[in-house]
Amino acid sequence: MKKMIALGFEGSANKIGVGVVTLDGNILSNPRHTYITPPGHGFLPRETAQHHLEHILPLVKSALKTAGITPDEIDCLCYTKGPGMGAPLQVSAVVVRVLSQLWKKPIVAVNHCVAHIEMGRIVTGAEDPVVLYVSGGNTQVIAYSEGRYRIFGETIDIAVGNCLDRFARVLTLSNDPSPGYNIEQLAKKGEKFIDIPYVVKGMDVSFSGILSYIEATATEKLNNNECTPADLCYSLQETLFAMLVEITERAMAHCDKKDILIVGGVGCNERLQEMMRIMCSERGGKLFATDDRYCIDNGAMIAYTGLLAFAHGSSTPLEESTFTQRFRTDEVHAIWREKEDSGCKNGIMEKA
Amino acid sequence: MAAAVAPEVSQWEFSCDLEVDYESEENASIVYAALVVDKELQPDKVKRQMSVVNGKLLVHFEAVEARFLRASFSAFVDVLTLATKTIEQFGQGMEL
Repeated sequence: MKKMIALGFEGSANKIGVGVVTLDGNILSNPRHTYITPPGHGFLPRETAQHHLEHILPLVKSALKTAGITPDEIDCLCYTKGPGMGAPLQVSAVVVRVLSQLWKKPIVAVNHCVAHIEMGRIVTGAEDPVVLYVSGGNTQVIAYSEGRYRIFGETIDIAVGNCLDRFARVLTLSNDPSPGYNIEQLAKKGEKFIDIPYVVKGMDVSFSGILSYIEATATEKLNNNECTPADLCYSLQETLFAMLVEITERAMAHCDKKDILIVGGVGCNERLQEMMRIMCSERGGKLFATDDRYCIDNGAMIAYTGLLAFAHGSSTPLEESTFTQRFRTDEVHAIWREKEDSGCKNGIMEKA
Repeated sequence: MAAAVAPEVSQWEFSCDLEVDYESEENASIVYAALVVDKELQPDKVKRQMSVVNGKLLVHFEAVEARFLRASFSAFVDVLTLATKTIEQFGQGMEL
């Protein structure tokens, strides 16, 4: 039988990506382009959408060419429905709606957070991990239970990546390739640990107070030569990541799961991976993480997740192919995982 | 009774029309179907009506203030251009 193929579009934040994948998780192409702002500046919805408008069609061509496929061979077109910034999300949605009519192909709307999880699972082979999803827009501890990815803990204000990105602006670090990467590199040179508030509230975390604190402290301490920018990056990372390790460990104990999967842009941070690996090994579990090709937003993750849903009979009519800024991870019915579950149960019954 | 309806008309003081001739009923309908999905974000401030006539896409905007009209029109033209370019580059006879 011919392998099913999907074309996926991601453009919920400052990356625009188009990917081609098969149902067994083989990535045939996955080009993307990142909107990089000058040091000291973040990305705004309108400018980001303009960036996406400019790059999306060349990316479609490049994705098809690299994959060596024609539109005829595609089974479905997948796009990010949300969560994310409205104007950038609309760019992918509009192109998918037009292509769907031109090529007579069905559409599948995909939740961005679920796509990170499914991409992480297929790339690493993690079967049923506790998932830490950390990026510039999201911070959630997630575990699968009864048809949905349930959120066990999350940020109550800004995302961990947003905290890091905005601190990078205070230090006017480069946004190329990403502010978080440059913080990570600078943190390696840090020697002195500066005390920063540590804010865990039950299963949730809060970062906005920490950001305000370090923004104020940084200027003062740097002016008085009490510490270096590297010390601040190091201290901030250690504090934020320790908070994430704490709530992730609690979720593991609660769900009785041994493995962890880290996904999302901040997931490429090697210090975060190292801290999480130590905690995991103490509990006899394994850490699964990916590098920047899959951690950071990309088209293939949307294509793969959309294709999973499509292969289990789900698609989105053109009239309903909307986008939305708010779209929680647990709103999605993960039909493809229910089939896996029942597969397991059958296995157990056969053994008995 | 009829008098009560009248004041509502003056509320939508600002309006403008956009007409794009695709010279193709099919292409105009594709763009229409792709863009009609997204509703105006502030329906109490801006209204948008679209139709396809003789291969042309007709769009009518009405707003309560000029700035809402401008913002809505400008955002619409961006996605209209994108949809049109997508047809040009990936429609019949596309070359990869």
